[in-house]
Amino acid sequence: MNFLKRRWVQVVIVAALVLVATVATYFDSTLYKKPIVQIENVKNVSKDKNTDEYKNTDYQIVQHVSGHFANTSKKGQRVTITNSYLQSQLSDERYKPHQQVFVLKSSKNRYTIQSTKRDAVLVFTIGLVLILLFCMKFTRGKLLTSVLINLVIFYGYMQFLIKSHNSLLVILTVITAILIAAVALLVILGPTQDALMAFASTFIATAVALLLSVFLLQLSNNSGIHFEMTPFDLQPYFGVFISQVIFSVLGVILDETMDISSSLIEMKQEVTDVTKQTLFKSGMVIGRELVGPLINILLFIVFAENLNLVMLYLTNGNSVGYTLDMTLSLGVTQLLISAIGIVLTVPITSFIASRMVARRKI
Amino acid sequence: MLYLLIAFIVLLLVVTGNRGISLLLGLGINLIAIVALLILIADGFNVVITTLIISVIILIVAIYMNVENGATANISFKTSLIIMVVILLITIPILYWSSTQGMGVEDQEELEGFSLAAGVSYPQLAIATIVVNSLGVISETSVAITSGLHEIVLNKPTLTSKEVFSDGFTVGNKILSTQTNTLLFNFFSTTFPLFFLMNTLGFKFSDIINDKLFGAEFLTTVICTIGVILTVPITAYQVVHESREKIKPETDKQ
Repeated sequence: MNFLKRRWVQVVIVAALVLVATVATYFDSTLYKKPIVQIENVKNVSKDKNTDEYKNTDYQIVQHVSGHFANTSKKGQRVTITNSYLQSQLSDERYKPHQQVFVLKSSKNRYTIQSTKRDAVLVFTIGLVLILLFCMKFTRGKLLTSVLINLVIFYGYMQFLIKSHNSLLVILTVITAILIAAVALLVILGPTQDALMAFASTFIATAVALLLSVFLLQLSNNSGIHFEMTPFDLQPYFGVFISQVIFSVLGVILDETMDISSSLIEMKQEVTDVTKQTLFKSGMVIGRELVGPLINILLFIVFAENLNLVMLYLTNGNSVGYTLDMTLSLGVTQLLISAIGIVLTVPITSFIASRMVARRKI
Repeated sequence: MLYLLIAFIVLLLVVTGNRGISLLLGLGINLIAIVALLILIADGFNVVITTLIISVIILIVAIYMNVENGATANISFKTSLIIMVVILLITIPILYWSSTQGMGVEDQEELEGFSLAAGVSYPQLAIATIVVNSLGVISETSVAITSGLHEIVLNKPTLTSKEVFSDGFTVGNKILSTQTNTLLFNFFSTTFPLFFLMNTLGFKFSDIINDKLFGAEFLTTVICTIGVILTVPITAYQVVHESREKIKPETDKQ
């Protein structure tokens, strides 16, 4: 058994398992009912210059994709499909050899490509994370358990959401947020008073930030915010928006409360007669350092998520101002609410933690 | 939205005092940098190269304006640059394989009325999306680990390189958990509307795992996690290297 405990042996085993899993998913076409074609050859037939009404130049390319069926009763039969795509590939695709694609029969012996089979690459990327985790001295168990439990909770959330036809959206999101925050804290800090302290601070800070923001938004009648730009037109607009804010800000606020409260606990252990005023002040000092980087995290995530849409607007002859207004007003509002939450967390956590830590006897 | 902005600025100044002004300045510069990135890409500049240049600017602002300790800032900046390149090297082949660029069938309604022949390379934009997405988490992680390790090295200068390295993982463990949470919860935030729509459209499990939009979100989250994981050893290596160089001249003098 000692042999199995060596790091490189573990890494080799995990790498082998990942390889097997990736190859197995690549060749799992028989599990699918939809016909899948394994692409072998791709030949470009034509390339036409295309200039649109906004003077953008693009190329319309027609390719002959040939390969063989990988499943269904036609397995092994050869087939050639014509695919036409724009070089920018916004909503169509250039197909490449070794890719697998789902096809639809359009008429006798004629097929069109419906979509790409992507399961193997997802398995491979997740496998890459596992291999890296095994290469290094991380406590993998904890991390993976917390991710798995959170995924299960999220799955349950989706099920309830679908069953209730989105009518209980915000309530369900709040319950889910409380659950995943609790799981995260329990896994990282254990069932301790610290975890309770961080939980209380997270809950109160998020709640105060959200209520204050909703109040301010109502005050200005939601002016300047295009709630109708909610992803996929999902209703109710405001509920979807608030739920997105809650999920997105929860992680960083948890990070912040844990950092502040654990530093204060450390301080109490070093200086046992520290007063709650001193603790509160140190909490504020530590918190101040965290605000900038945490807002940055969400800033980049919000912009990155909207990159495609922004580009679509900009290249369609819209001014920068109009584009940003239409595509990013929701994201920026989300960012502002999150930022208010991140800022408010500093005094709230410092206050709660200083009271609870000062009272504690060590 | 104006009220929210005012509330944010007032609260920030009240809570962080003088630092608030430099924080606002940093956020403002980053905001301008990102908008510049959008305009440059739309004007036809190479997506990946422009993203890399702007990302370096963003990292300089995000790290040097937030970290007061010079040595910590230098190591964090170097680490973030290395990780950015590594993420790029991982992302390019994975996205070539996954073709998760652009928009999916779920976006059809939104695309109506738009000219799709816009000439911007959406496969490259997909790479840019992942790089930009990772900037915040990467810089935060490297700053947190560097300052944690510096504190340890300062308190116990006698630590061997091996011990510093393993301390790096102790510090890294907690940061890895919290950053994974941030990334995971943001994945929830963007995908719950998507999953809801997929249900309306009658998607089965097999459709979801091969879906373009789901794939894009999934890969973004996982590749950013890879970046966070790699930050730990790269930071630890540099702290070890740096502390050795610092100690050497001192021992020579004695």
